[in-house]
Amino acid sequence: MPIVLTINGQKVAAEEGTTILEAARDVGIHIPTLCHHPDLSNVGACRMCVVSVEKQRGLQTACTTPVSEGMVVDTQSEDARATRKFLLEMLLSDHPNDCMTCEVNGDCLLQDLVYDYDVAWPEYNGLRHTYPIDPDPNPFIFIDRNKCVLCSRCIRACQEMQNRDVWSFAYRGFETKLVAGADQFLLDANCESCGQCVAYCPVGALYDKMSLKTGRAPSVSKIRTTCSYCGVGCNFDLNVRDNRIVRVTSAPDAPVNGMALCVKGRYGYDYVHHPDRVTQPLVRAKWLDAKQIRQRVADGTWMVANVAEKRVQPAGNGIDSIVPDTFIQTDWNAALDVVSHKFAEVKKSMGGDAFALLASAKCTNEENYLFNKFTRQVLGTNSIDHCARL
Amino acid sequence: MNMRGDVTLSVETEEGVERPAHRWVAVCTGTGCVSSASEELRQALREELDRSNLNGHVEVRRTGCFGFCERGPIVVVHPGETFYTQVKPRDAKAIVEEHILDGQKVERLLYHDPASDTIAEKWHEIGFYGKQKRILLSNCGIVDPENVDHYLAREGYQALRTALTEMTPEQVIEEVTDSGLRGRGGAGFPTGVKWGFARKAQNWPKYVICNADEGDPGAFMDRSVLEGDPHSVVEGIIIAGYAIGAEAGFIYCRAEYPLAIMRLEIALTQARELGFLGDNIQGSDFSFDISIKEGAGAFVCGEETALIASIQGERGQPWPRPPYPAVSGLWGQPSNVNNVKSYAYVPRILRMGAEWFKNLGTEGSPGTAVFALTGMVNRTGLIEVPMGITLHDIIYDVGGGIPQGKRLKAVQTGGPLGGCLPEDYLDTPVDFDSLRAAGAVMGSGGMIVADETTCMVEFAKYFLKFACDESCGKCPPCRIGSTRMLEILERIASGKGIPEDIDRIRHLAKGMQNGSLCALGQLTPSPVLSVLRHFEDEFWAHVSEARCPSASCQMLVRAPCVSACPAGVDAPAYLALVAQGRYAEALAVHRDSNPFAMICGRVCPAFCEDVCRRGQIDESIAIRQVKRFMADQYYAEPWTPPQLAPPKNIKVAIVGAGPCGLTAALRLAQQGYEVTVFERMPQPGGMMTYGIPAYRLPRQPLFAEIDHIRRAGVDIRCNLELGTDFTIKSLKDEGYQAIVLALGAHRSRSLGIHGEQKKGVYHGVQMLRDIALGSLPDLSNKRVVVVGGGDTAMDAARSAWRLGAKDVHIVYRRTQHEMPAIKEEIKGAKEEGIQFHFLVTPVTVLGNDAVSGVRLQRQSLGDFDRSGRRRPMPIPGSEFDMPCDILVPAIGQVTWVNDESLAMIRKATFDVGKAFNFDNTPGVFAAGDAITGPATVVQAVAHGNQVALTVDHWLTTGDMGGVYYHPKRHDIPQLFDLEEYTEAHRPVSRALSPQDRLARHDFAEVEMEFDAQIIQEECKRCLRCDLEWLERIGEPLP
Repeated sequence: MPIVLTINGQKVAAEEGTTILEAARDVGIHIPTLCHHPDLSNVGACRMCVVSVEKQRGLQTACTTPVSEGMVVDTQSEDARATRKFLLEMLLSDHPNDCMTCEVNGDCLLQDLVYDYDVAWPEYNGLRHTYPIDPDPNPFIFIDRNKCVLCSRCIRACQEMQNRDVWSFAYRGFETKLVAGADQFLLDANCESCGQCVAYCPVGALYDKMSLKTGRAPSVSKIRTTCSYCGVGCNFDLNVRDNRIVRVTSAPDAPVNGMALCVKGRYGYDYVHHPDRVTQPLVRAKWLDAKQIRQRVADGTWMVANVAEKRVQPAGNGIDSIVPDTFIQTDWNAALDVVSHKFAEVKKSMGGDAFALLASAKCTNEENYLFNKFTRQVLGTNSIDHCARL
Repeated sequence: MNMRGDVTLSVETEEGVERPAHRWVAVCTGTGCVSSASEELRQALREELDRSNLNGHVEVRRTGCFGFCERGPIVVVHPGETFYTQVKPRDAKAIVEEHILDGQKVERLLYHDPASDTIAEKWHEIGFYGKQKRILLSNCGIVDPENVDHYLAREGYQALRTALTEMTPEQVIEEVTDSGLRGRGGAGFPTGVKWGFARKAQNWPKYVICNADEGDPGAFMDRSVLEGDPHSVVEGIIIAGYAIGAEAGFIYCRAEYPLAIMRLEIALTQARELGFLGDNIQGSDFSFDISIKEGAGAFVCGEETALIASIQGERGQPWPRPPYPAVSGLWGQPSNVNNVKSYAYVPRILRMGAEWFKNLGTEGSPGTAVFALTGMVNRTGLIEVPMGITLHDIIYDVGGGIPQGKRLKAVQTGGPLGGCLPEDYLDTPVDFDSLRAAGAVMGSGGMIVADETTCMVEFAKYFLKFACDESCGKCPPCRIGSTRMLEILERIASGKGIPEDIDRIRHLAKGMQNGSLCALGQLTPSPVLSVLRHFEDEFWAHVSEARCPSASCQMLVRAPCVSACPAGVDAPAYLALVAQGRYAEALAVHRDSNPFAMICGRVCPAFCEDVCRRGQIDESIAIRQVKRFMADQYYAEPWTPPQLAPPKNIKVAIVGAGPCGLTAALRLAQQGYEVTVFERMPQPGGMMTYGIPAYRLPRQPLFAEIDHIRRAGVDIRCNLELGTDFTIKSLKDEGYQAIVLALGAHRSRSLGIHGEQKKGVYHGVQMLRDIALGSLPDLSNKRVVVVGGGDTAMDAARSAWRLGAKDVHIVYRRTQHEMPAIKEEIKGAKEEGIQFHFLVTPVTVLGNDAVSGVRLQRQSLGDFDRSGRRRPMPIPGSEFDMPCDILVPAIGQVTWVNDESLAMIRKATFDVGKAFNFDNTPGVFAAGDAITGPATVVQAVAHGNQVALTVDHWLTTGDMGGVYYHPKRHDIPQLFDLEEYTEAHRPVSRALSPQDRLARHDFAEVEMEFDAQIIQEECKRCLRCDLEWLERIGEPLP
């Protein structure tokens, strides 16, 4: 039996146990929130979602108050609106005024609320915190506590999504501070750098360190992709600016993983544009035909690699320095020819069972299927395994 | 309830033989007394008894708190209830040898009541206990809290047995509900109803939680119950567990209470041994156990959801309700949370019945209330009073009133989240609903009394600072709002407040009340708001004038004497100059803010001396005497006040040549205005001339100082009366651009009784005026009755005595304590043999044509009125007649003017705005007694300074108000070592003997002057608070 209540004069049916916030959102009535996130438990900390409920003393937080039969809710009462505005005044009075250069400009819940409720930044209104910026050596997570609104979303994300319990609050009152562990560095507090806290931060207090000064929400395009690291198939958005990946952001609608990502998915994208990345096959000179090497290097289609200097030598150079173990950057056909010849040789001389194959979690299902076929049908062995079993 | 402790207990002697103890000595071992060595005392008593071979005959018993902690350690010797206070271990010998062996009470250890100057021998003869009703604390001071047999002997655990064997859980809940018990944690929610919710909850297991996280500063009610009678709490919790069907109980006790925790642990062990805890309690199928969880010192953990979080091992932060703990509490299970006292009442309610409890206290709030009474009261401590008792009875009867006869300013109830009530709320009954209706709250039971020297901004700041520090930080309104509010209060207290701050406080308060998650945030603004409601003027004094009226805000108070002086005269500066013999400079300092040094040196009530810090060490500096001496050095030297601005060619009229009018005239003349003063009487001076008799203020210095004003260029025209000889309109027509009405208050109030027109009714004001005019009334051999308690009444009575009256009586409707007259006058009148009759008021003037007597009615003091004094209430049928020839009414004066266009308040004083201006008559101002009612010379001078500033500001800018007179600061170096004057005392003032006064039969000055050496030495006793202040604000010393 659904419960029937009235929100802003509109009759709404909701299941028992639903909160006012959920019931309102189901029918398209927006109630502002800051500490609430549908993935996380509700704590009623930020007070932004206060609404008036008839016959109840004071204001109620919509995120924590369950609906009840015949409840009459006004989300836009004078008291509720005035209180929200007051809350924003309070938050701004202890917040820097640097939206201009803030990483989350245009993608900040506080900024949106302050805009909606038309609150001015107070020039002087007493003490503001001046915490050091980026105090933590963690290579991935940037912290600016001056911007923290103490909504505890990061704490809950770490606790409820990641089960790591790295973050918590320390101290009291105005001095309440978000800390890792016992006010330690993140890595000392058992942080595994998944960045979930960053993903749930509604303001610019936590940010991805690799993405500082690389482009903000309005200047990037988001391209949904599947993570290439493992077979889970997490989806996320590559934030691309000038044809370069500048950041990975969670995609709340990702079917497999939602907002969750691991350290590799969120931060392991720097290889893409890395100068050391190997993009052409390298074959040792001893496996290739010496005459062909001389000819191809001379005409510039192959190149001699200088491994120590992590580069290939300019076209036509280095022929005299080649020794049997020197890497030659070849074309794919040449490289695969070497491999297939070697496979054929082994199978012929020692039989299929001389092979053992290890599949990668980075491969898709389809690739692994092909790999399996290749192992059994082409090489003729059952010795196949997968890295996930190691 | 049996208070006498005559239960026969047995004690075990060393031989292991039990024998009845007829005599026993109770030694308080509450935390307060333990910290004053009561454990050592207990040991010393035992040793003394040993030495006298009395061990085994006399029991030395550790008990809980007697409440009178201020006088601890407390020892009570039974039988006989002899109550010894402040007993040291070395006093054990005297108690044993004198009292126990010889039966002689040790007089020096008995309680001496300073208020009544009597010695109380027995426990219940002490005023502190008179109006108390100890229900919850009935075992404290009687039983040994570590001995369960004592508790059992006092019917302990009877209620639990009855509940388990004869009652269903529902019946227990019904009984508690019927008793009307309301939660003693502060909110007052009906306890039985709360239990009912937890009982109905479907989940299992359920928990009972006892909130012993008593965090209010200065409150120790719960601690005393836990330390003095732990089993009553344990029994209450077990009963609650049975009632709601719980499996376990938790006592959340703050770790700062080690003694309470230790005694609780002992109690729990004993209860387990006796089968009151554990499986199948007392053979029933109810199993239950209790454990203690120590709090880590967060005030917010007194909030039930934060408390639950803390027990769960989480950060102590509140959670939004619903769900309430009764539905989902500890580990998500149904839980019942009550305060220590709520549980401790329960066994008593079950034992005595709901009806018994309901008949205590009031209908809405049955039972008693336990308070920690602290602050400015004579007797502080832990008290238990019936609900419904008035604040007055608590403060004055239990607490013994305010120390040093000071006036009460406010009383804070409900701890740091409560509210304060001013004096005129003293008749408020103390119960949940009445206090809430009055704007305060019951809270968990702290009661803090503030006297008149307390600055209310400071007071509000103190509580706010506490709440601010204790905010858990979870929600922004409390976390940031309280900090912002504290910043504003700190700004105001240091004189840097701005007018918008008052509205800003209200804005913050509203946001915090509406927006905060828990009661801590919602109630944090309460003390500030209640102070703002009752004492907004004090806030404005800080904001607009950078002045702390109570002279307590450190950054604003250069020296208490300067703050206390209405005219802000720089006393430390002229004292320092007089000490160096620089009299002329000293006098110039005085004249900067008050031109009448000779006059005030004689008649000023010296508000400065009342607050002098030296007075807190030995005696205050004789500032007035110094002033008189310094001014008299220049008796013969005419002073011409300096001109401070070029002539302005603007005419200003002052009506009335009293101290206010003359000061205003002087200040305006110094600013270059052409000032004319119009005076109705033949001589200037106002009440200084026509109200103060020459024996207090000789005419020579008076007229000398008025002549100084003339020399500033002020034209004083006498014998001209407003409304008769000139009008406001005629003055305007003559080109006066501003008119200041400083008319004083010269019309005597009538008594309003029958026969007042009879011959022989002679108003005090009239008598004094006649004397000043030289037409001395013939009072020889007349019997004179003066009605009133102010200075006019004293002056009239003392003048009548000088004029040869046979005997002079003063009748006053209150007591000497409430008399507004200055103390020297009362003392002088008494020396002169004038007879005082207090608590009587005239009801009829007797006689045919002429007065033959007056019928008086006796009065008793009733409720408090707005002035903070107790209202006299007639006692019907108490009339009696007092024969007299002359009846002198002197019960006050009002302003009167023959011009109805000027707005008045209750036909007594002019109705003017903050800038002394009449709203409907621009350019016309009023000041002095004409707007305050009869006051003192120095207050009139202060008004004169201020109105002159206001008029100047208005004439130059056109703006009304917003300017405040700030007296000039003079920093004078200290040239001697103050250390040498630590032992010095104030000289005793000398006066003409009453015989000399009468022998000379004239109005010769009574008070005599000191010589130069005495005066200079006296000045060196000054502690120079002003120099300390310079260091405080970071300025260099002179």
